[in-house]
Amino acid sequence: MSQSLEAYLVLSVLLFGIGTFGFLAKRNAIAMLMSIELMLNAVNLSIIAFGAFTPELAAQASTIALFVIAVAAGEATVGLAIVIAIYRIRRTPLVDEYASMKE
Amino acid sequence: MDLTFNAEAATGHGAETLSLTGASSEQAIAMLLILALPLAGFLLTGLLGRRMGERPWIIAIAAILIATGIGTMLALGALSSEEPVRYGFTLYTWIPAGDLQVEFGFLFDNLTAAMMIVVTWIGSMVHIYSIGYMAHDDAKWRFFSYLNLFMFSMLLLIMADSLLVIFAAWELVGLSSYLLIGFWYKRRAPKLAAKKSFLVNRVADQSFLIGIMGVFLLTGTMNVLDSFVGFASSAEPWVRDLVALLLFVGAAGKSAQFPFHVWLPDAMEGPTPVSALIHAATMVNAGVYFIARTSPIFASAPETMVLVAAIGTFTAILAASIALTQKDIKRVLAYSTLSQLGYMFAALGVGAFVAAIFHLMAHGFTKGLLFLGSGSVIHAVSGEQDMNRMGALWRKIPITHWTFLIAALSLAGIPPLAAFFSKDSVLGESFILGFTWVFVIGAIVAAMTGFYMFRLMGKTFYGKSHVDPGVEPAIHESPRSMTVPLLLLAIPTIFLGMVIGLPLGDSTILHWLEPIFLPAEELLAIQFPEYELFGVDGALIIVSVAVAALGIGVGIWLFGIFNSRARLETVESLTDRNRVSRFFYTASQNKWYFDDLNHLVFYRFGGKVANGVMWFDVKVVDGVVNGVGTITQSVGDNIRHIQTGHVQNYALGIALGLVGMAALFMLMAR
Amino acid sequence: MGLPETVPYLDWRWDDLVFLALAGVMLGSALLVVLGRDVIRSALWLILSFAGLAGIYGLLGSPFLAISQVLVYIGAIAVLILFAVMITSTKRGPARLVFQRQWWVGAIAAVLLVGLMITAILLTDWPHNGQVYAAQVRDIALTLFDDYIFAFEVLGVLLLAAIIGGLYLARRDEEDHV
Repeated sequence: MSQSLEAYLVLSVLLFGIGTFGFLAKRNAIAMLMSIELMLNAVNLSIIAFGAFTPELAAQASTIALFVIAVAAGEATVGLAIVIAIYRIRRTPLVDEYASMKE
Repeated sequence: MDLTFNAEAATGHGAETLSLTGASSEQAIAMLLILALPLAGFLLTGLLGRRMGERPWIIAIAAILIATGIGTMLALGALSSEEPVRYGFTLYTWIPAGDLQVEFGFLFDNLTAAMMIVVTWIGSMVHIYSIGYMAHDDAKWRFFSYLNLFMFSMLLLIMADSLLVIFAAWELVGLSSYLLIGFWYKRRAPKLAAKKSFLVNRVADQSFLIGIMGVFLLTGTMNVLDSFVGFASSAEPWVRDLVALLLFVGAAGKSAQFPFHVWLPDAMEGPTPVSALIHAATMVNAGVYFIARTSPIFASAPETMVLVAAIGTFTAILAASIALTQKDIKRVLAYSTLSQLGYMFAALGVGAFVAAIFHLMAHGFTKGLLFLGSGSVIHAVSGEQDMNRMGALWRKIPITHWTFLIAALSLAGIPPLAAFFSKDSVLGESFILGFTWVFVIGAIVAAMTGFYMFRLMGKTFYGKSHVDPGVEPAIHESPRSMTVPLLLLAIPTIFLGMVIGLPLGDSTILHWLEPIFLPAEELLAIQFPEYELFGVDGALIIVSVAVAALGIGVGIWLFGIFNSRARLETVESLTDRNRVSRFFYTASQNKWYFDDLNHLVFYRFGGKVANGVMWFDVKVVDGVVNGVGTITQSVGDNIRHIQTGHVQNYALGIALGLVGMAALFMLMAR
Repeated sequence: MGLPETVPYLDWRWDDLVFLALAGVMLGSALLVVLGRDVIRSALWLILSFAGLAGIYGLLGSPFLAISQVLVYIGAIAVLILFAVMITSTKRGPARLVFQRQWWVGAIAAVLLVGLMITAILLTDWPHNGQVYAAQVRDIALTLFDDYIFAFEVLGVLLLAAIIGGLYLARRDEEDHV
C-alpha cells in the first residue's frame, strides 16, 4: 500500500476534498484560509508522490513543492493581512456578513 | 520643357545607384549615441529638472553639445570621403508580422550628414541662447527637456531608414512642436496656437500615413531604400501619382505649404528660440528632407512633381505678399520662412534636388540667426513684438543689429552670403530645366524678400524711435549667452555659401549630394547642360542679384537705413492711393483671409454638417444604442439576484463548474 | 531480537502500518479543522494535520521536504494563523453557526469532486514499479539553483512583495486610535 502511487494520490484527493468543503462551508474567514492551506498541502502531496515514483522527476518535484510552500507562505501573509484589515472596518471575521459587493 | 518619365530607367535601374554598406561598430555606436544623449537629456531633465534648482539646463545642454560633436564628426567623415558613402544598420525588428517586416534601422549618407550639421549646430546654438532667453522663466527645466525631446525626434527623423520609423519621428517632432508652442500654456493665445498647429498637422499626417501604406502595398517593404527598387515599375502611373501626392500632402503639412500654411505664423506664440529651432531651421524642413530622401518615388510620379513645384511657387509668392505688411516682427519672419520653404518645394518639384537641400541649409542658418536676433530685439524692448513700437535700436543693441543685418542681406540674396548661392541655384536650375514660370515668380519673390527684410530693418533698427517711453531707458544688449550664438551663427551665414557653393556649376555640395539624387534624376531624364558663367548662368545670377537689389533699394528708400529718414508718408500715400492698392494692402495684412476661409469652411459650414450628423447620432444611433441598453438593463435587473456578494457563493459556483467540466472531460475521454 | 517482518496478526508490512497511521492522523485532524466550532481548536488541529503530512513526506523518501514542511507550515504559517485568530476573535461571534447556509451544497460538490478524481486515478494505468525513489538533497539544490534559478529569484521578489503588502494592509491607520 505504501508502495503504490494510487494510495498517495487517493490520500491527496481526500485531503483536497476536505479542504474544498471547508472553504465552501465555513463562515469564518480565517477558517477559510486554513482550508486553502489544506488544499495546497494536498496538491503538494500529489506532486511529491509523482516525483517519488518517477526517478527522473524526483528532484524537480521537490523543487516545485518548495516553490508551492513559499508561495503559500506569501499567500497566507497577504490573506491574513486582508482579513485583519477587513476585520478592523467590519468588526467581524464572518465572511457572510461582508456583502457590500451586493448590487 | 516638362518633366518626362523615363520608363527605361524605371525598369533598367540605371547605372550606378549608391549601395548600402553595413555600418562599422564605431559608426553604429556613434549613431546610437547621437540619439541616446538627447533622449537621456529629455528623460533626466523631465524627471529631475524640478529639483535641479537654478540651472536645470546643465544636462540638456551637455547632451546636445556632445551629440553635436559626435554628429559633426560622423558628418564630416561622410562628406570628406572620396567615394560617396551610405552605411546603415538594423537595431532590431520592430514589427515582425508576416509580410510586414518593419526594421528599426538607421541610415547615414551625405544627405543625412548635411541635415545633421544643420540640426545639431542650430540646435546647440538655440540651446545655449535659451539659457539667457529663458532666464526669467520658472519652468526652465520643462523647456529644456522639451527641446531635448525635439532634438531626439528630429535626429531620429533624419537617420531612420524605414518609412514607419520616419512616421513615428514625424509625429514626435509634431508632438514636441506642440508642447513648445504651447509652452506658456497659461496664456490663451499659445494654447490655441499649439492646438491649431497640432490639428492642421494631424490632417496632413493622416494623408502621409496613407501614402506610406500605399508605398508598402506597391513595393511590399517599409524600408526607404528598398522601396525605391520596385516603385517605379510597380503600378499604373496614376496610382504612383496618387501615392506620391498623399506623401506630398504630409510633407506640405509639416513644412507649412499652402493650404496648410496657416499654422506656422500662429506658432510664433511659442518662445522665440523655439521659433528659431523648430519653425525656421529644422522641423519645417522635414517635408523638404522627406521628399529629397524619397526622390525616386517622387521622380516616378512626374505629375505630382509638377504639382509640388506649383504649390511651392504659389506658397512662396503668397507668403511673401503677406510678409510685406505684417506689423509683428516674428510674423514677418514666419511668412518669410513660408516663402523660402516655397522656394525649396519649387526646387524639388522641378527636379533640382541639390539646390533644394542647399537652400535648406543656407536658409536654416540664416533664418535661425534672424529669429534669434528678433528674440534679442524683443528681449531688449521688454517683450514688445510690434515693429511700429520699435525703431532706432541699432546703436543700442549693436551686436544684434549687425548680425541681423548680415542675415537680412543673406536672405535677400546679396553675394557672397550663404542664401545668395542657394537661392541663385534654385532660380537658375529651374530656368535651365525649363520651368520659366517658376523662375519668373521666384525672381518676383526675391524682390519682395529684399523689400520686406529692409522694411523690417528700417522699422526695427533705424529711423525715429517709437519705443514706449517707459521702456526706452531699459533697452540693453542681451546677455552673452544670447549674443555668442548670434555671432556663431553669423559665421555660416556669411561663409557657408562660399565654402560649399563654389566653384559655381561644380560646387562642393553638388559633389556631396549628386550621387544620392542620381536615381531620381535618371528617372526624370534630367541632364544638366554645361555650366556657362559667361552665358546663360551668369545672366541668371545678374538677374537675381538685380531684383534683390531692387527690392532692398525700395525698402531702404521707403523705410530708411542707419540715420537716414524714413518716408512713412510716402508709404501711407502709396497704400491709400486708390481702391485697388487699399484692397491689396488690407488683404495682405489679413493674410488673404485664409484663416477666415478656414473658419467659414470648417467652423461655420463644417459645424452645420456636424449638427446634421449629431441629429442622426442622437436620434438614430443613440436610439438604437439606448434601446439595446434598456433591454440589457431590464434583463440585468431580473437576474442580478444571482449576485449575492458572498464570496463563497461564487466559490461554490467555481467548484460545481469544476465538477461539471471534469465529469464531461472524463466522459469524452472514454 | 528485532521486529518481525510483518505486523503480527494483520500480516501487513510495517511501513504500510505507518502509512495508514499517518494518513489517519492527517485526514482525521483535517476533518476536525473543517468540522470544529472553535477557530482556535481548528488552528491547533491544522498543525497536527501538517505534521502528519510531514511524516508522509518522510515515508516518500523526502526528509528534506518534511523538514521544510515543519519549518514553514508549522513554524510560520500556523503561528501566523493563530495570531490572526487572536486578533479577530470576538466574544459576540456566534459559536453555533460555524457553517454557511449553503454548507450541504458545498458538501455535495466536494464529494462529487473527490469521487470523480478517485475514479480518474483508479482508471488510469500508472507506469511505475512500486519502488519509491528518494530525492537527493544535492539534486534538489542543483535543480533549484541551476535550472530554476530565475524562478527562484522571482520568488524572492514575490515574498518581499508579500511582506510589504502584508505590512501595508495590516497597518493600523492613525485615525483608528481615536
